[in-house]
Amino acid sequence: MRAGQHGGMTTTASVVAFDQVSKAFGDVRAVDGLSLTLHPGETVALLGPNGAGKSTTLDLLLGLKQPDTGTVRVLGTTPREAIVAGRVGAMLQTGGLMDEVTVAELVALACSLHPKPYKASDVLARAGIAQIADRKVNKLSGGQAQRVRFALATAGDSDLIVLDEPTTGMDVTTRQAFWATMREQADQGRTVLFATHYLEEADAIADRVLVLHRGRLLADGTAAEIKARAGARRVSFDLDGTPDESALGALPFLTSLDVSGQTVRLQSADADATVHALYGIGLYPRNLEVTGLGLEQAFVAITTAEEAKQK
Amino acid sequence: MNGLIKLELARALRNRKFLFFSVIYPSALFLLIAGNADSTAKLPGTGLTLPTYMMVSMASFGALTAVLMGNSERIAKERESGWVRQLRLTTLPGRGYVLAKTASAAVVSLPSIVVVFVVAALVKDVRMESWQWLALTGAIWAGSLVFAALGVAIGYLASGDAVRPITMITYFGLSMLGGLWMPTTTFPGWLQSIAKWMPTHAYAGLGRAIEQSQAPHMGDIANLAVFFVLFAGGAAWLYRKDTLKA
Repeated sequence: MRAGQHGGMTTTASVVAFDQVSKAFGDVRAVDGLSLTLHPGETVALLGPNGAGKSTTLDLLLGLKQPDTGTVRVLGTTPREAIVAGRVGAMLQTGGLMDEVTVAELVALACSLHPKPYKASDVLARAGIAQIADRKVNKLSGGQAQRVRFALATAGDSDLIVLDEPTTGMDVTTRQAFWATMREQADQGRTVLFATHYLEEADAIADRVLVLHRGRLLADGTAAEIKARAGARRVSFDLDGTPDESALGALPFLTSLDVSGQTVRLQSADADATVHALYGIGLYPRNLEVTGLGLEQAFVAITTAEEAKQK
Repeated sequence: MNGLIKLELARALRNRKFLFFSVIYPSALFLLIAGNADSTAKLPGTGLTLPTYMMVSMASFGALTAVLMGNSERIAKERESGWVRQLRLTTLPGRGYVLAKTASAAVVSLPSIVVVFVVAALVKDVRMESWQWLALTGAIWAGSLVFAALGVAIGYLASGDAVRPITMITYFGLSMLGGLWMPTTTFPGWLQSIAKWMPTHAYAGLGRAIEQSQAPHMGDIANLAVFFVLFAGGAAWLYRKDTLKA
Protein backbone atom coordinates (compact mmCIF):
# COMPACT_ATOMS: atom_id res chain seq x y z
CA MET A 1 0.00 0.00 0.00
CA ARG A 2 1.27 3.45 -0.82
CA ALA A 3 1.62 5.91 2.02
CA GLY A 4 -0.47 8.47 0.20
CA GLN A 5 -3.49 6.18 0.31
CA HIS A 6 -3.53 6.31 4.09
CA GLY A 7 -4.09 9.99 3.70
CA GLY A 8 -3.97 10.63 7.45
CA MET A 9 -1.68 12.68 9.65
CA THR A 10 0.24 9.65 10.86
CA THR A 11 1.85 8.82 7.51
CA THR A 12 2.90 12.35 6.69
CA ALA A 13 4.30 12.82 10.18
CA SER A 14 6.19 9.54 10.32
CA VAL A 15 9.89 9.52 9.56
CA VAL A 16 10.12 5.76 9.23
CA ALA A 17 7.20 3.40 8.74
CA PHE A 18 7.57 -0.38 8.59
CA ASP A 19 4.33 -2.15 7.76
CA GLN A 20 4.34 -5.93 8.33
CA VAL A 21 7.86 -6.26 6.97
CA SER A 22 9.43 -9.71 6.66
CA LYS A 23 12.80 -10.77 5.32
CA ALA A 24 14.13 -14.31 5.30
CA PHE A 25 17.53 -15.72 4.37
CA GLY A 26 16.95 -19.36 3.54
CA ASP A 27 15.14 -20.78 6.55
CA VAL A 28 16.11 -17.95 8.85
CA ARG A 29 13.48 -15.28 9.30
CA ALA A 30 15.75 -12.33 10.05
CA VAL A 31 12.84 -9.90 10.24
CA ASP A 32 9.42 -11.33 10.94
CA GLY A 33 6.28 -9.25 10.44
CA LEU A 34 7.85 -6.08 11.82
CA SER A 35 5.72 -2.96 12.09
CA LEU A 36 7.05 0.23 13.61
CA THR A 37 6.82 3.98 13.22
CA LEU A 38 9.38 6.62 14.11
CA HIS A 39 8.28 10.19 14.67
CA PRO A 40 10.17 13.42 13.96
CA GLY A 41 12.70 14.43 16.58
CA GLU A 42 12.84 11.11 18.38
CA THR A 43 16.10 9.54 19.45
CA VAL A 44 15.47 5.83 19.24
CA ALA A 45 17.66 2.94 20.28
CA LEU A 46 17.31 -0.38 18.51
CA LEU A 47 18.33 -2.97 21.00
CA GLY A 48 18.76 -6.68 20.63
CA PRO A 49 21.21 -9.54 20.99
CA ASN A 50 23.34 -10.64 18.03
CA GLY A 51 21.15 -12.20 15.39
CA ALA A 52 18.06 -10.33 16.58
CA GLY A 53 17.68 -8.75 13.15
CA LYS A 54 18.99 -5.26 13.93
CA SER A 55 21.32 -4.98 10.96
CA THR A 56 18.76 -6.47 8.57
CA THR A 57 16.19 -3.98 9.87
CA LEU A 58 18.57 -1.09 9.18
CA ASP A 59 19.45 -2.51 5.74
CA LEU A 60 15.74 -2.64 4.88
CA LEU A 61 15.28 0.88 6.19
CA LEU A 62 18.13 2.13 4.00
CA GLY A 63 17.02 0.23 0.91
CA LEU A 64 20.14 -1.94 0.88
CA LYS A 65 17.85 -4.95 1.09
CA GLN A 66 14.34 -5.38 -0.22
CA PRO A 67 11.64 -6.87 2.02
CA ASP A 68 10.09 -10.21 0.99
CA THR A 69 6.71 -8.91 2.12
CA GLY A 70 5.45 -5.66 3.64
CA THR A 71 6.46 -2.09 2.92
CA VAL A 72 9.14 0.25 4.18
CA ARG A 73 8.55 3.99 3.84
CA VAL A 74 11.08 6.64 4.79
CA LEU A 75 9.91 10.25 5.03
CA GLY A 76 6.85 9.38 2.98
CA THR A 77 8.77 7.83 0.12
CA THR A 78 10.99 4.86 -0.71
CA PRO A 79 14.30 4.52 1.13
CA ARG A 80 16.31 5.12 -2.05
CA GLU A 81 14.36 8.28 -2.94
CA ALA A 82 14.81 9.61 0.59
CA ILE A 83 18.56 9.01 0.34
CA VAL A 84 18.82 10.61 -3.12
CA ALA A 85 16.99 13.66 -1.72
CA GLY A 86 19.72 13.88 0.93
CA ARG A 87 17.25 13.36 3.76
CA VAL A 88 18.99 10.38 5.32
CA GLY A 89 22.51 10.16 6.68
CA ALA A 90 23.70 6.72 7.63
CA MET A 91 26.66 4.96 9.14
CA LEU A 92 26.95 1.22 8.70
CA GLN A 93 28.68 -1.17 11.02
CA THR A 94 30.22 -2.79 7.96
CA GLY A 95 30.71 0.47 6.08
CA GLY A 96 34.19 0.31 4.66
CA LEU A 97 36.12 3.44 3.80
CA MET A 98 38.06 4.36 0.71
CA ASP A 99 41.73 3.48 1.18
CA GLU A 100 44.75 5.64 0.49
CA VAL A 101 42.97 8.97 0.73
CA THR A 102 43.07 11.40 3.63
CA VAL A 103 40.26 11.90 6.12
CA ALA A 104 39.72 15.44 4.81
CA GLU A 105 39.45 14.23 1.21
CA LEU A 106 36.93 11.57 2.11
CA VAL A 107 34.78 13.97 4.11
CA ALA A 108 34.96 16.51 1.25
CA LEU A 109 33.72 13.76 -1.08
CA ALA A 110 30.77 13.02 1.23
CA CYS A 111 29.94 16.73 1.30
CA SER A 112 30.13 16.96 -2.49
CA LEU A 113 27.70 14.04 -2.81
CA HIS A 114 25.13 15.60 -0.43
CA PRO A 115 22.43 17.87 -1.90
CA LYS A 116 22.40 20.05 1.23
CA PRO A 117 26.02 19.83 2.34
CA TYR A 118 27.72 21.46 5.30
CA LYS A 119 31.20 22.90 4.99
CA ALA A 120 33.72 20.06 5.14
CA SER A 121 35.74 21.87 7.82
CA ASP A 122 32.62 22.10 10.01
CA VAL A 123 31.83 18.43 9.52
CA LEU A 124 35.39 17.49 10.51
CA ALA A 125 35.27 19.69 13.59
CA ARG A 126 31.87 18.43 14.70
CA ALA A 127 32.91 14.80 14.38
CA GLY A 128 36.05 15.58 16.38
CA ILE A 129 38.44 14.55 13.61
CA ALA A 130 39.84 17.94 12.56
CA GLN A 131 43.20 17.07 14.11
CA ILE A 132 43.51 13.87 12.07
CA ALA A 133 42.22 15.41 8.83
CA ASP A 134 45.52 14.87 7.00
CA ARG A 135 45.90 11.27 8.05
CA LYS A 136 45.35 8.44 5.57
CA VAL A 137 42.07 6.65 6.12
CA ASN A 138 43.74 3.22 6.24
CA LYS A 139 46.02 4.35 9.11
CA LEU A 140 43.23 5.04 11.61
CA SER A 141 42.37 3.28 14.86
CA GLY A 142 38.97 1.60 15.13
CA GLY A 143 37.51 4.48 17.13
CA GLN A 144 38.86 7.10 14.72
CA ALA A 145 37.45 5.21 11.76
CA GLN A 146 34.05 5.20 13.50
CA ARG A 147 34.25 8.99 13.82
CA VAL A 148 35.06 9.29 10.13
CA ARG A 149 32.00 7.15 9.35
CA PHE A 150 29.97 9.43 11.57
CA ALA A 151 31.30 12.43 9.65
CA LEU A 152 30.17 10.79 6.39
CA ALA A 153 26.70 10.28 7.89
CA THR A 154 26.47 13.93 8.97
CA ALA A 155 28.02 15.60 5.91
CA GLY A 156 24.80 17.47 5.16
CA ASP A 157 21.51 18.61 6.58
CA SER A 158 19.60 15.31 6.76
CA ASP A 159 16.32 14.72 8.59
CA LEU A 160 17.11 11.21 9.72
CA ILE A 161 20.41 9.86 11.00
CA VAL A 162 20.83 6.09 11.15
CA LEU A 163 23.77 4.60 13.03
CA ASP A 164 24.57 0.91 13.32
CA GLU A 165 26.57 0.21 16.50
CA PRO A 166 28.33 3.56 16.22
CA THR A 167 30.59 3.34 19.26
CA THR A 168 32.13 -0.06 18.52
CA GLY A 169 35.88 0.19 18.99
CA MET A 170 35.79 3.42 20.98
CA ASP A 171 37.15 3.73 24.51
CA VAL A 172 35.00 5.13 27.31
CA THR A 173 36.12 8.76 26.97
CA THR A 174 35.75 8.84 23.21
CA ARG A 175 32.40 7.16 23.51
CA GLN A 176 31.09 9.84 25.85
CA ALA A 177 32.40 12.61 23.60
CA PHE A 178 30.78 10.86 20.66
CA TRP A 179 27.40 10.70 22.31
CA ALA A 180 27.60 14.38 23.19
CA THR A 181 28.05 15.05 19.46
CA MET A 182 25.17 12.72 18.70
CA ARG A 183 22.92 14.53 21.16
CA GLU A 184 23.64 17.82 19.37
CA GLN A 185 22.27 16.22 16.21
CA ALA A 186 19.12 15.20 18.06
CA ASP A 187 18.76 18.64 19.67
CA GLN A 188 18.62 20.20 16.20
CA GLY A 189 15.35 18.36 15.70
CA ARG A 190 16.67 15.42 13.74
CA THR A 191 15.37 11.93 14.15
CA VAL A 192 18.15 9.62 15.27
CA LEU A 193 17.96 5.86 15.14
CA PHE A 194 20.85 3.83 16.46
CA ALA A 195 21.44 0.14 16.97
CA THR A 196 23.58 -0.71 19.93
CA HIS A 197 24.60 -3.47 22.25
CA TYR A 198 25.90 -0.99 24.81
CA LEU A 199 22.68 -1.06 26.76
CA GLU A 200 23.62 1.72 29.12
CA GLU A 201 23.85 3.97 26.07
CA ALA A 202 20.30 3.21 25.07
CA ASP A 203 19.33 3.94 28.66
CA ALA A 204 21.21 7.23 28.82
CA ILE A 205 20.56 8.63 25.35
CA ALA A 206 17.37 7.33 23.77
CA ASP A 207 13.89 8.74 24.36
CA ARG A 208 12.55 5.50 23.07
CA VAL A 209 13.88 1.96 23.07
CA LEU A 210 12.83 -0.74 20.64
CA VAL A 211 13.74 -4.23 21.74
CA LEU A 212 14.16 -6.60 18.83
CA HIS A 213 14.32 -10.34 19.28
CA ARG A 214 14.28 -12.94 16.51
CA GLY A 215 13.17 -10.34 14.02
CA ARG A 216 10.16 -9.24 16.02
CA LEU A 217 9.48 -6.21 18.16
CA LEU A 218 9.46 -7.37 21.75
CA ALA A 219 9.11 -4.06 23.54
CA ASP A 220 8.64 -0.46 22.54
CA GLY A 221 8.75 2.28 25.14
CA THR A 222 10.95 4.53 27.20
CA ALA A 223 13.92 2.96 28.91
CA ALA A 224 12.07 3.38 32.22
CA GLU A 225 9.01 1.55 30.91
CA ILE A 226 11.11 -1.31 29.67
CA LYS A 227 12.82 -1.61 32.99
CA ALA A 228 9.44 -1.58 34.71
CA ARG A 229 8.28 -4.45 32.50
CA ALA A 230 10.98 -6.68 33.88
CA GLY A 231 10.63 -5.95 37.59
CA ALA A 232 11.98 -2.61 38.47
CA ARG A 233 14.33 -2.78 41.46
CA ARG A 234 16.88 -4.94 43.05
CA VAL A 235 16.98 -5.24 46.86
CA SER A 236 19.80 -6.87 48.77
CA PHE A 237 20.48 -7.24 52.48
CA ASP A 238 22.03 -9.51 55.11
CA LEU A 239 20.12 -11.25 57.92
CA ASP A 240 21.29 -12.51 61.32
CA GLY A 241 20.85 -16.26 61.39
CA THR A 242 19.60 -18.44 58.56
CA PRO A 243 17.00 -16.73 56.36
CA ASP A 244 13.60 -18.38 56.22
CA GLU A 245 13.08 -18.80 52.48
CA SER A 246 9.38 -19.53 52.61
CA ALA A 247 8.71 -16.39 54.65
CA LEU A 248 10.80 -14.34 52.22
CA GLY A 249 9.11 -15.95 49.26
CA ALA A 250 5.75 -14.70 50.53
CA LEU A 251 6.83 -11.04 50.37
CA PRO A 252 4.62 -8.86 48.15
CA PHE A 253 5.67 -7.68 44.63
CA LEU A 254 8.52 -10.15 44.55
CA THR A 255 9.72 -11.12 41.05
CA SER A 256 12.82 -13.13 41.98
CA LEU A 257 14.57 -14.37 45.11
CA ASP A 258 18.10 -15.59 45.68
CA VAL A 259 19.42 -16.60 49.09
CA SER A 260 23.07 -17.43 49.62
CA GLY A 261 24.27 -17.87 53.19
CA GLN A 262 22.99 -14.90 55.15
CA THR A 263 22.74 -12.69 52.10
CA VAL A 264 19.41 -12.21 50.36
CA ARG A 265 19.05 -10.71 46.87
CA LEU A 266 15.63 -10.11 45.43
CA GLN A 267 13.92 -8.16 42.68
CA SER A 268 10.69 -6.35 43.27
CA ALA A 269 8.15 -4.54 41.15
CA ASP A 270 7.48 -2.25 44.14
CA ALA A 271 10.58 -2.11 46.33
CA ASP A 272 9.02 0.21 48.93
CA ALA A 273 6.18 -2.21 49.65
CA THR A 274 8.49 -5.20 49.71
CA VAL A 275 10.89 -3.60 52.21
CA HIS A 276 8.00 -2.41 54.36
CA ALA A 277 6.66 -5.97 54.48
CA LEU A 278 10.14 -7.20 55.39
CA TYR A 279 10.04 -5.22 58.62
CA GLY A 280 6.42 -6.29 59.06
CA ILE A 281 7.34 -9.98 59.40
CA GLY A 282 9.83 -9.08 62.12
CA LEU A 283 13.07 -9.25 60.17
CA TYR A 284 15.85 -6.74 60.60
CA PRO A 285 17.80 -6.38 57.32
CA ARG A 286 21.39 -5.16 57.59
CA ASN A 287 23.37 -3.45 54.78
CA LEU A 288 20.10 -2.84 52.98
CA GLU A 289 20.58 -1.71 49.39
CA VAL A 290 17.87 -0.83 46.90
CA THR A 291 19.14 -0.25 43.37
CA GLY A 292 17.49 0.40 40.04
CA LEU A 293 17.63 -2.44 37.58
CA GLY A 294 19.80 -1.50 34.62
CA LEU A 295 18.33 -1.75 31.20
CA GLU A 296 20.63 -4.69 30.58
CA GLN A 297 18.96 -6.85 33.23
CA ALA A 298 15.57 -5.65 32.08
CA PHE A 299 16.47 -6.63 28.56
CA VAL A 300 17.73 -10.06 29.60
CA ALA A 301 14.56 -10.59 31.63
CA ILE A 302 12.31 -9.68 28.70
CA THR A 303 14.11 -11.86 26.17
CA THR A 304 14.32 -14.80 28.60
CA ALA A 305 10.61 -14.54 29.31
CA GLU A 306 9.92 -14.47 25.57
CA GLU A 307 12.06 -17.53 24.94
CA ALA A 308 10.34 -19.40 27.78
CA LYS A 309 6.97 -18.54 26.25
CA GLN A 310 7.98 -19.97 22.91
CA LYS A 311 9.11 -23.32 24.32
CA MET B 1 30.22 12.07 -9.25
CA ASN B 2 33.01 14.42 -10.36
CA GLY B 3 34.15 14.48 -6.76
CA LEU B 4 34.54 10.72 -6.78
CA ILE B 5 36.38 10.72 -10.13
CA LYS B 6 38.80 13.35 -8.86
CA LEU B 7 39.45 11.45 -5.66
CA GLU B 8 39.88 8.13 -7.49
CA LEU B 9 42.36 9.84 -9.77
CA ALA B 10 44.31 11.47 -6.95
CA ARG B 11 44.53 8.09 -5.31
CA ALA B 12 45.69 6.32 -8.47
CA LEU B 13 48.38 8.94 -9.07
CA ARG B 14 49.60 8.51 -5.50
CA ASN B 15 49.93 4.77 -5.82
CA ARG B 16 53.52 4.29 -6.98
CA LYS B 17 53.26 0.58 -7.58
CA PHE B 18 50.24 1.04 -9.81
CA LEU B 19 51.89 3.90 -11.69
CA PHE B 20 55.07 1.91 -12.18
CA PHE B 21 53.26 -1.06 -13.66
CA SER B 22 50.94 0.92 -15.89
CA VAL B 23 53.18 3.84 -16.96
CA ILE B 24 56.87 2.89 -16.63
CA TYR B 25 56.78 -0.87 -17.07
CA PRO B 26 55.43 -0.96 -20.67
CA SER B 27 58.13 1.49 -21.80
CA ALA B 28 60.81 -0.48 -20.02
CA LEU B 29 59.57 -3.66 -21.66
CA PHE B 30 59.59 -1.89 -25.02
CA LEU B 31 63.25 -0.98 -24.61
CA LEU B 32 64.06 -4.50 -23.46
CA ILE B 33 62.47 -6.10 -26.53
CA ALA B 34 63.14 -3.48 -29.21
CA GLY B 35 66.22 -1.86 -27.69
CA ASN B 36 68.79 -3.67 -29.84
CA ALA B 37 66.52 -4.17 -32.83
CA ASP B 38 67.30 -2.68 -36.21
CA SER B 39 65.24 0.48 -36.76
CA THR B 40 65.12 0.07 -40.53
CA ALA B 41 64.66 -3.65 -41.29
CA LYS B 42 61.00 -4.55 -41.87
CA LEU B 43 59.28 -7.45 -40.16
CA PRO B 44 58.10 -9.92 -42.80
CA GLY B 45 54.46 -9.57 -43.77
CA THR B 46 53.83 -6.32 -41.91
CA GLY B 47 55.85 -3.65 -43.63
CA LEU B 48 56.72 -2.37 -40.15
CA THR B 49 60.04 -2.29 -38.31
CA LEU B 50 60.27 -4.19 -35.04
CA PRO B 51 60.32 -0.99 -32.93
CA THR B 52 57.23 0.33 -34.72
CA TYR B 53 55.49 -3.01 -34.32
CA MET B 54 56.38 -3.31 -30.63
CA MET B 55 55.47 0.30 -29.91
CA VAL B 56 51.81 -0.47 -30.58
CA SER B 57 52.03 -3.72 -28.64
CA MET B 58 53.46 -2.02 -25.57
CA ALA B 59 51.17 0.99 -25.70
CA SER B 60 48.22 -1.41 -25.86
CA PHE B 61 49.75 -3.47 -23.08
CA GLY B 62 50.18 -0.38 -20.88
CA ALA B 63 46.60 0.74 -21.41
CA LEU B 64 45.39 -2.79 -20.72
CA THR B 65 47.35 -2.87 -17.47
CA ALA B 66 45.97 0.45 -16.27
CA VAL B 67 42.31 -0.28 -16.91
CA LEU B 68 42.21 -3.98 -16.06
CA MET B 69 44.24 -3.85 -12.84
CA GLY B 70 42.79 -0.48 -11.87
CA ASN B 71 39.27 -1.83 -11.93
CA SER B 72 39.29 -5.47 -10.91
CA GLU B 73 41.28 -5.53 -7.69
CA ARG B 74 39.96 -2.24 -6.38
CA ILE B 75 36.33 -3.13 -6.97
CA ALA B 76 36.68 -6.56 -5.39
CA LYS B 77 38.46 -5.09 -2.38
CA GLU B 78 36.00 -2.27 -1.90
CA ARG B 79 33.05 -4.58 -2.26
CA GLU B 80 34.48 -6.63 0.54
CA SER B 81 35.39 -3.73 2.80
CA GLY B 82 31.87 -2.32 2.54
CA TRP B 83 32.85 0.93 0.84
CA VAL B 84 30.54 0.07 -2.04
CA ARG B 85 27.69 -0.31 0.47
CA GLN B 86 28.54 2.98 2.12
CA LEU B 87 28.45 4.70 -1.28
CA ARG B 88 24.99 3.30 -1.85
CA LEU B 89 23.86 5.46 1.07
CA THR B 90 24.80 8.59 -0.86
CA THR B 91 23.13 10.33 -3.79
CA LEU B 92 25.65 8.73 -6.16
CA PRO B 93 23.73 6.70 -8.75
CA GLY B 94 24.47 2.96 -8.75
CA ARG B 95 26.50 3.12 -11.97
CA GLY B 96 28.42 6.14 -10.72
CA TYR B 97 30.92 4.07 -8.82
CA VAL B 98 31.81 1.91 -11.83
CA LEU B 99 31.94 4.92 -14.14
CA ALA B 100 34.21 6.82 -11.77
CA LYS B 101 36.55 3.84 -11.51
CA THR B 102 36.68 3.45 -15.29
CA ALA B 103 37.13 7.17 -15.89
CA SER B 104 40.05 7.40 -13.49
CA ALA B 105 41.65 4.27 -14.98
CA ALA B 106 41.28 5.83 -18.42
CA VAL B 107 43.07 8.96 -17.27
CA VAL B 108 45.99 6.86 -16.04
CA SER B 109 46.07 4.78 -19.23
CA LEU B 110 46.64 7.87 -21.38
CA PRO B 111 50.14 8.62 -20.05
CA SER B 112 51.03 4.94 -20.29
CA ILE B 113 50.28 5.12 -24.04
CA VAL B 114 52.03 8.44 -24.58
CA VAL B 115 55.17 7.49 -22.64
CA VAL B 116 55.68 4.44 -24.85
CA PHE B 117 55.30 6.65 -27.96
CA VAL B 118 57.77 9.22 -26.67
CA VAL B 119 60.34 6.57 -25.78
CA ALA B 120 59.89 4.88 -29.17
CA ALA B 121 60.27 8.14 -31.06
CA LEU B 122 63.26 9.39 -29.07
CA VAL B 123 65.20 6.19 -28.55
CA LYS B 124 64.26 4.09 -31.58
CA ASP B 125 63.56 6.84 -34.12
CA VAL B 126 60.01 5.72 -34.85
CA ARG B 127 58.58 8.29 -37.25
CA MET B 128 54.98 8.73 -38.39
CA GLU B 129 52.68 11.44 -39.72
CA SER B 130 51.10 13.57 -37.00
CA TRP B 131 47.59 12.28 -37.87
CA GLN B 132 48.92 8.78 -37.28
CA TRP B 133 50.20 9.62 -33.80
CA LEU B 134 46.83 11.17 -32.90
CA ALA B 135 44.76 8.37 -34.43
CA LEU B 136 46.96 5.79 -32.71
CA THR B 137 46.53 7.44 -29.31
CA GLY B 138 42.79 7.72 -29.81
CA ALA B 139 42.33 4.13 -31.05
CA ILE B 140 44.37 2.55 -28.27
CA TRP B 141 42.74 4.73 -25.66
CA ALA B 142 39.20 4.02 -26.86
CA GLY B 143 39.93 0.31 -27.29
CA SER B 144 41.02 0.05 -23.67
CA LEU B 145 37.36 0.49 -22.68
CA VAL B 146 36.80 -3.14 -23.66
CA PHE B 147 39.26 -4.21 -20.99
CA ALA B 148 37.97 -1.70 -18.46
CA ALA B 149 34.62 -3.49 -18.74
CA LEU B 150 36.39 -6.82 -18.25
CA GLY B 151 38.07 -5.39 -15.13
CA VAL B 152 34.70 -4.38 -13.71
CA ALA B 153 33.29 -7.84 -14.43
CA ILE B 154 36.20 -9.54 -12.64
CA GLY B 155 35.86 -7.11 -9.74
CA TYR B 156 32.24 -8.14 -9.25
CA LEU B 157 32.88 -11.83 -9.95
CA ALA B 158 35.80 -12.61 -7.68
CA SER B 159 36.44 -11.66 -4.11
CA GLY B 160 39.12 -11.89 -1.49
CA ASP B 161 42.16 -13.95 -2.33
CA ALA B 162 40.78 -15.11 -5.67
CA VAL B 163 40.74 -11.73 -7.41
CA ARG B 164 44.49 -11.32 -7.80
CA PRO B 165 45.22 -14.70 -9.41
CA ILE B 166 42.16 -14.40 -11.67
CA THR B 167 43.24 -10.92 -12.75
CA MET B 168 46.81 -12.05 -13.31
CA ILE B 169 45.87 -15.12 -15.35
CA THR B 170 43.50 -13.05 -17.48
CA TYR B 171 46.05 -10.30 -17.85
CA PHE B 172 49.00 -12.48 -18.84
CA GLY B 173 46.80 -14.74 -20.95
CA LEU B 174 45.39 -11.83 -22.90
CA SER B 175 48.78 -10.12 -23.29
CA MET B 176 50.65 -13.20 -24.37
CA LEU B 177 48.03 -14.91 -26.55
CA GLY B 178 47.05 -11.64 -28.16
CA GLY B 179 50.63 -11.13 -29.28
CA LEU B 180 51.36 -8.03 -27.23
CA TRP B 181 54.70 -9.39 -26.06
CA MET B 182 55.84 -11.13 -29.24
CA PRO B 183 54.34 -11.26 -32.72
CA THR B 184 51.81 -14.10 -33.03
CA THR B 185 53.55 -15.08 -36.28
CA THR B 186 56.25 -16.67 -34.07
CA PHE B 187 53.59 -18.96 -32.48
CA PRO B 188 53.04 -22.56 -33.61
CA GLY B 189 50.07 -22.93 -35.99
CA TRP B 190 47.53 -24.23 -33.46
CA LEU B 191 48.28 -21.36 -31.09
CA GLN B 192 48.02 -18.84 -33.90
CA SER B 193 44.50 -20.00 -34.64
CA ILE B 194 43.55 -19.35 -31.00
CA ALA B 195 45.45 -16.07 -30.85
CA LYS B 196 43.65 -14.49 -33.76
CA TRP B 197 40.37 -14.58 -31.81
CA MET B 198 41.78 -12.81 -28.75
CA PRO B 199 40.44 -9.30 -28.14
CA THR B 200 43.98 -8.15 -27.45
CA HIS B 201 44.98 -9.36 -30.93
CA ALA B 202 42.26 -7.22 -32.47
CA TYR B 203 43.22 -4.37 -30.14
CA ALA B 204 46.84 -4.29 -31.31
CA GLY B 205 45.54 -4.81 -34.86
CA LEU B 206 43.74 -1.45 -34.67
CA GLY B 207 47.01 0.33 -33.95
CA ARG B 208 48.99 -1.58 -36.54
CA ALA B 209 46.51 -0.73 -39.29
CA ILE B 210 46.99 2.94 -38.47
CA GLU B 211 50.77 2.52 -38.56
CA GLN B 212 50.39 0.97 -42.02
CA SER B 213 48.33 4.01 -43.04
CA GLN B 214 45.23 1.84 -43.40
CA ALA B 215 41.78 2.06 -41.92
CA PRO B 216 41.34 -0.39 -39.01
CA HIS B 217 40.15 -3.78 -40.22
CA MET B 218 36.44 -4.45 -39.87
CA GLY B 219 37.23 -7.86 -38.39
CA ASP B 220 39.19 -6.27 -35.53
CA ILE B 221 36.47 -3.72 -34.85
CA ALA B 222 33.78 -6.42 -34.88
CA ASN B 223 35.85 -8.61 -32.56
CA LEU B 224 36.33 -5.76 -30.07
CA ALA B 225 32.67 -4.79 -30.28
CA VAL B 226 31.54 -8.35 -29.53
CA PHE B 227 33.93 -8.64 -26.58
CA PHE B 228 32.85 -5.24 -25.29
CA VAL B 229 29.18 -6.27 -25.32
CA LEU B 230 30.13 -9.55 -23.65
CA PHE B 231 32.27 -7.98 -20.91
CA ALA B 232 29.99 -5.01 -20.27
CA GLY B 233 26.92 -7.26 -20.23
CA GLY B 234 28.63 -9.62 -17.81
CA ALA B 235 29.72 -6.72 -15.63
CA ALA B 236 26.19 -5.29 -15.55
CA TRP B 237 24.71 -8.67 -14.69
CA LEU B 238 27.25 -9.33 -11.90
CA TYR B 239 26.81 -5.79 -10.60
CA ARG B 240 23.05 -6.24 -10.32
CA LYS B 241 23.48 -9.60 -8.61
CA ASP B 242 25.88 -8.07 -6.11
CA THR B 243 23.54 -5.15 -5.42
CA LEU B 244 20.63 -7.46 -4.61
CA LYS B 245 22.81 -9.50 -2.30
CA ALA B 246 24.55 -6.73 -0.40
